[in-house]
Amino acid sequence: MDVFTLSLWALRIGFVLLIYAFFVVVARALWRDLRAGVAGAGRPLARLLVVGSPEGRPQAGTSIALDAVNSLGRDVNNSIVLDDSFVSADHALLTFRGRAWYVEDRGSTNGTWLNGQRVEGMAPLGYGDEVQIGQVRMRLERARPE
Amino acid sequence: MSALDPNERRLTRALYRAGIRPHFRWRELRLLLVVAICLTVGWVSLESFRQGQIAIGDAALLAVYLVALGVIHVAFVVTGRRMDQILFPTAGLLAGISLLVMNRLPQNLVVQQVGGMELPLGPLQLVWILLGFSLLAAIAIFVRSDGWLRRYKYTWAAAGIALLLLVFVFGSVVGGARLTLHIGPFSGQPSELLKVILVVFLAGYLAENRALLSSGTTRVGTFTLPPLPYLLPMLAMWGIALAIVIVQRDLGAALLYFLVFLGLLYVATRRAMYVLYGIILFLVGGALLYVLFTHVQDRINIWIDPFADPQGAGYQVIRALYAFGRGGILGTGLGAGLPSVGDVPSIPAIHTDFVFAAIAEEMGMLGALAVLGLYLVIAERGFRIAAAAADDFRALLATGLTLVIVVQAAIIAGGNLRVLPLTGVTLPFISYGGSSLLVNGAVIGLLLALSDRGVEAPPPGVRPNAVVRAAQRARAVGGRIEEALS
Repeated sequence: MDVFTLSLWALRIGFVLLIYAFFVVVARALWRDLRAGVAGAGRPLARLLVVGSPEGRPQAGTSIALDAVNSLGRDVNNSIVLDDSFVSADHALLTFRGRAWYVEDRGSTNGTWLNGQRVEGMAPLGYGDEVQIGQVRMRLERARPE
Repeated sequence: MSALDPNERRLTRALYRAGIRPHFRWRELRLLLVVAICLTVGWVSLESFRQGQIAIGDAALLAVYLVALGVIHVAFVVTGRRMDQILFPTAGLLAGISLLVMNRLPQNLVVQQVGGMELPLGPLQLVWILLGFSLLAAIAIFVRSDGWLRRYKYTWAAAGIALLLLVFVFGSVVGGARLTLHIGPFSGQPSELLKVILVVFLAGYLAENRALLSSGTTRVGTFTLPPLPYLLPMLAMWGIALAIVIVQRDLGAALLYFLVFLGLLYVATRRAMYVLYGIILFLVGGALLYVLFTHVQDRINIWIDPFADPQGAGYQVIRALYAFGRGGILGTGLGAGLPSVGDVPSIPAIHTDFVFAAIAEEMGMLGALAVLGLYLVIAERGFRIAAAAADDFRALLATGLTLVIVVQAAIIAGGNLRVLPLTGVTLPFISYGGSSLLVNGAVIGLLLALSDRGVEAPPPGVRPNAVVRAAQRARAVGGRIEEALS
């Protein structure tokens, strides 16, 4: 068998094998995604940093990990309990939907405030925005400090 | 990925200053590199066989194609959309294989006049691929909301049916099927477009009525049926499929529409019984059509025994089977297969319906399986996008779009292999054909748009310090004085 026939054979087999190389790269990417998914499963989506709380429950400086749906209020059944005298029993809802965080007032007596403005119904908020519930002021932060 | 790379950070900062927010796609770039190497090796293998020595020949077509892939990649990076990074290279590899195959086939199969130039099969396919990929990129980059699809679902459905009627009335018959619509100098196959419109409508309809469909029941004797008013669309769908077979004589499209519909219905309701009812309806309809129409009988008879009429009806199917046999496991190599009868290839529809047979002959079972594997990659990505979607409509839309490509590939590959009766649909991204490439490009573009996780969140704003503020104020005052004086 001469050199040309041999190299032609190598070329055509190489062509098909390179398609399989594509699969290997794809599979590696999927495997990495899977590992990252497992590692990231327990990580909170974001956190609330308590900036100010005159009554000290929760204390200023506390960092609260957030799930996709968080209920805030004075009642002990809320996922985030704010034991402040100006907070209603079921005060507000903080949710992550698709791409953005939303804060929703649940008919509280003293209202929910976003960056100093009263929230009517539902309002989107971004990282760095400040939410005030009762006398407790909190800032939405990323899960990991950058 | 490598967010800490200092070069990347410097580049990012420079682009930010120019008002561009890039999102680097290293994974896509790596896959595109593999695609480029693979296609180049394929091209060299083809040219070497043709010239009898190791040569690359005139690789202008390949170069144009690879540059186009690179340009689209850069466009994705610069616009900063956080989309799936695997779909585009996969479509790129499929279309690249198509370019190789079309370039290898006899160039006089299709010749079209474009502005005084005669474009044979290979360059013509490249033009269609480029148009299809431009559509893909445009949709992926510019579609930021699905409201226009979601809100007008009945309008879309009406447009689809209008399109269908238009073909029924004005369509011209090509190759025994009334599929092609001529409008002025343009001609196209609306059934390709219709499949996307259908998926949009079904996704909207099922997302709205999902709860009712999956919980309510009507009892008829011992059978538990879905609530009757919601069953009507299913029957309507069945009717449309039958009408397509009867009037258009397009078995492939009817089969595709019905299977995609059943798939979506199952995904939306999680009730296997519906699929069972659908299959029963399908069998009843199929039997009815078989009894009533000769062209359906022909297809089934060829499928069961192609050797009954080897020089007539069964000719193509038998030739395709021989091609699979000649290919074997490793294939004959690009350029070495497909003996032709006189000047025409032995399988007349080798560039459209039987392109899978051509691939199996020249790239062997190994290559044919690889091509099927690429469709599996598309399925994996599409269903993953559906699973991660924010709401029902997006999930169903992504599922439907994925099914449209994958089921179509399965139907035609099965037809080539005589697993299913042969029906005339294209092998997505590989068969020659403008309508098919444009629509499949749009489908992948929509999937990419659906997979977008939003533009990267802007860095938190920093309040300028006192000195900067004073400088800004001074500049504003200065500007006003300048204006007043001039």
